[in-house]
Formats: sequence, structure tokens, C-alpha cells
Amino acid sequence: MLFIEVKGKKIETNEEGFLINHEDWAKEVAVLLAKEEEGVEALTEDHWAVINYIRNYYLEKNLAPMVRKICKTTGFQLKYIYELFPSGPAKGACKVAGLPKPDGCV
Amino acid sequence: MDNETEKKDPFEEKIDQLKTEDLKKALQVFREKIHSEYAAYFNSCVHCGLCADSCHYYLTDRNIQSMPAYKLNLAAGIFKRYFSFTGKKIPGWIGAKKFNHSIVREWVDSLFGRCTLCGRCSLNCSVGLNITYLIRTARSALASIGLVPPGLQSTVNTALEKGNNMGIPREDWIETVEWLEEELQSEVGDKNARLPLDLKGARLFYTVNPREPMFFPLSISAVGKIFYAAGESWTFSSDNYDVTNYGLYSGDDEAAGVMSDRLVKSMKNLGCKTLVLAECGHGFNSNRWEAPEWLSKKYNFEVKSILEIVADYILQGRIKLDPSLNPDPVTLHDPCNLVRLGGIVEEQRFILKHALTQFIEMTPNREKNFCCGGGGGQLAMTRFSKRRLEAGRVKADQIRDTGAKVVAAPCHNCIDQLMELNKHYKLGVKIKTVCEIVADALVIKKREKS
Repeated sequence: MLFIEVKGKKIETNEEGFLINHEDWAKEVAVLLAKEEEGVEALTEDHWAVINYIRNYYLEKNLAPMVRKICKTTGFQLKYIYELFPSGPAKGACKVAGLPKPDGCV
Repeated sequence: MDNETEKKDPFEEKIDQLKTEDLKKALQVFREKIHSEYAAYFNSCVHCGLCADSCHYYLTDRNIQSMPAYKLNLAAGIFKRYFSFTGKKIPGWIGAKKFNHSIVREWVDSLFGRCTLCGRCSLNCSVGLNITYLIRTARSALASIGLVPPGLQSTVNTALEKGNNMGIPREDWIETVEWLEEELQSEVGDKNARLPLDLKGARLFYTVNPREPMFFPLSISAVGKIFYAAGESWTFSSDNYDVTNYGLYSGDDEAAGVMSDRLVKSMKNLGCKTLVLAECGHGFNSNRWEAPEWLSKKYNFEVKSILEIVADYILQGRIKLDPSLNPDPVTLHDPCNLVRLGGIVEEQRFILKHALTQFIEMTPNREKNFCCGGGGGQLAMTRFSKRRLEAGRVKADQIRDTGAKVVAAPCHNCIDQLMELNKHYKLGVKIKTVCEIVADALVIKKREKS
């Protein structure tokens, strides 16, 4: 089993850094995942807008939102989303937001 | 990250709990799928070892368990033990092995975990054995007793239950098409530009990989723009549009048949002439070549890759490209399922040479090209992800050696692996579909009328 450690608490992840239990997520977890997995040193307000939207959508629907919805809600262009999260919405934004790894070609 | 082992992996527990009847069932499925031609393969390996250096796993880890001949032998040993005279009587003589928990564990580890079903070993086999098919058949046996590793199995399940492999709700797909249509209209400056949905009687039915509408829609926009420029009669479908088929990877022929049959249903429903498969390697191999076998029926329509369609546009002068719009050096990745196993080899080269100024081949290329490491369901099987990245070193080195700034990859599965390789091996390249590169070079004439 693999773990990351946040504030002295061990949090289980899979081999690709996705959280095993999404309830383990906290802002500090996002900060660490962004740094270790995405190379993002400091999360900006724009990062948080994307993260919070994805996370709330997932908690409500048990599903990651389509990138169209992320763009529409945050008002960001698609290109900007890819700039904020270089690994893209799945392996970048969804991972930092504490979602499990999506099915499919990702 | 730390490693700890206090909690048992549920998948490993599943193997521990296998009963005799489970093992019998797997053997029966294995036997049923081995026809005489393939049974002969099991007895024909001459142990020359040429396959070793053809495999990206062996080239990167030099582990005997990664050698294709070793993997073949894992399956052959079981076949001989239960289904050959000598193997039943004097198993030790011919390396026949008993099918038990430890062999099952080794099958999972090597046949799922050290193989992308890329077919390169079969191509390099000195006696022409279809090693790839035999490994997939062993996967079928494991699939029959629920032993497809998680991630790969959940992707198959999502496709079966939700109609597409990412579980995209119908209204979300439709809204995304509408959104991309608006973007296309503003890009080409024509409010009549369309991304048609359910247009009955259109010439082409165009499929997509769910990854595109979900997270990476630029490839859809690109194809929409090309169709617009060519004045094509085409349509999307609001149901049954998923080009992927993870049954090819899991070995579950029944599930694979269900998925491919959905596209047949859409063709019938829409009354289109040609089923056009998106830039998706395994989706092409599945739906162009394997599906008629899975479904035991002959298709009464054409099946083509989008690359064949675009190459025809260029040949017939239906689209105009300005290569100077793509000035960066570009190399091309040959997806195994599209090229070595699919037969689409020259179309992408023909297209790219008309769409850009500097084209650099990788070495080796075409049917001899190396797998990116993401095929065979590896992207989905998280438990083997470290190995997948390591095995991808061969592809990373190939890319770096070209000096290219852009990698054209006509496969969404490969693109995801290439994105990871780009990050892991610091390649500093952009990765695009072939159609994205074409769309960037399009010169669109103003329409008199739409």
C-alpha cells in the first residue's frame, strides 16, 4: 500500500497518486498532490476555482464533470485549464481534487 | 511515498479464494479458444530468443519474466499438461505445468502485467508464432473467472453498464457537441457550420473515444473543422458512439461483442454508408477486424479509419492545406493496433507530408515501431503503472532521438501514455492527433451558401 503524509496523517493512494478514499481529501492534501504530481508549487485562486467545482460536482453526482462544465462554470478557456493543470483535467485537476482515477483511456 | 503491507489487496484475495471449479472453468475456456492452428503454436517455439529484444518490457527490465517466449511458455505449459498426451502422462519431460493458484498469479503478473498485446514479438518470431493471440487467449481464461485486474475490468463494466467507457451521461455528450458546434461556428465565421447529431442518411457515421468529449475535446473540433472544409455529409450519434472496446484487452469476447454491436446498431439506425473510426488504435483493430469475428457476422457497410477519409480528401482536392502553418518539426508514433495489427500505415504519412514542413520518422517505424507502453489495457491497470512508465523508456528514447517538437499520435490511448512519458522523461514535446495537425493547416474558403 502507498501513502502520502499530510499533517502527520497517512493517506492511502494508488500507484498513480490518486486517493483511494476521497473522504481523506483536505485542502492540505490538494496542496501536496499539486506539488508532487503536477509540479504546481502554489495553488492560485484559479486553481481552487477548478478544484472546488470538480470536488463539489463529484460529491453530488459521484462522477467527474465534463470539461465543458468546468469551462462554463469557471469562465476559463479550455487552453487555460490545461495550463493550470499540465497533466490535463483527469490526471491533473481530478487527482488534485481527490477524485478516484476515472475509467477509460486515461 | 511509503510501502506498507498490513491490508491485503482484494484482487490478491480473490486469487487466494479460487476454488477447484474456478480453475476448471478457466481451463475449459482456454481450451475452447485454442483451435488446432494455435495448439500447433504451443508446440512450435524453438527457443531462439529473438523475441526478447523485440519486447519493450524486456528491453527495459532485462527480466526473464518479460521475455515473450517465457510468457508464451507460461500458457503453453498449461495447455500441454491438460490437453496433450505426453503432457498428461509425463509432464516433467515437456515442461507441462499444473494449473494452480501460483500459476494463476504468474499469469496475471506476466500476461496482464508485462504485455501490451502490441504484436511486435509475433512479427519478430523466427517461426511466425502468433504469441499475441495466445497471450490474449490466456487473458480470456482469466476473464472467465473474474480475474481481470481492477481498472481494466471497471472500464469494461462502465462501458457495458453506461453505454460508453467513461460513463458520460447522454445529455452531457449532447451538450458538449452543441458547445463544440458553437466554437466551430465562431472559428470558421459561419453560423451554419454544423456538428450534426443523429442525421439520418448521412454518408459517414463518425465515432469518438469518450476521453475526447470528457476531457480533451480539441480533437473533436479538429475533425469537425475538416468535415466542414470538405463539405462532408456526416453525423455523430447521441447513443452508441463509443469507438473503444476494452474487451479486446480484457480478453472477454462476449463483452467485446456487445460493445462493437452498438456501433452496428447505430449504423443501422442512422442508415449511413461508412462507419468511421476516430484516431483510436484498439478501437480500429476491434471494430475493423475483430468485431465481425466476435459477432459472427459480415458487415454490410464499410469500416474506415478517419485517416483514410482525410487522406482521400487531400488526394481528391476536397480540402486545401498550407504546410507553412505547421512549421515545427514533427515525428509520428505508429500505434500498434492501428499500424502493425491494423494495416493503416501510409495514410498518416501521406497526410502529414501535406500538412507540415518538417517530418521526421522515428527509428524503427511503421509495422516495426515500438509500442508506447500504454496499450493492452496498461493505462487502466494502475497496479502495473510503474512498470508501464519504465517500459515506455524505449518510446521516450525514440522520440528524443528525432529532435522533433511535436509527436503526432493517431490514438487517444497512446496519447495519454505519451503525455506521461513526456512528463516523466522530460521530453518537452507537444502531442497531437493527426487531425489536430491537419486542422491547424486548413485553408478554408468562404462559403457562398452552406
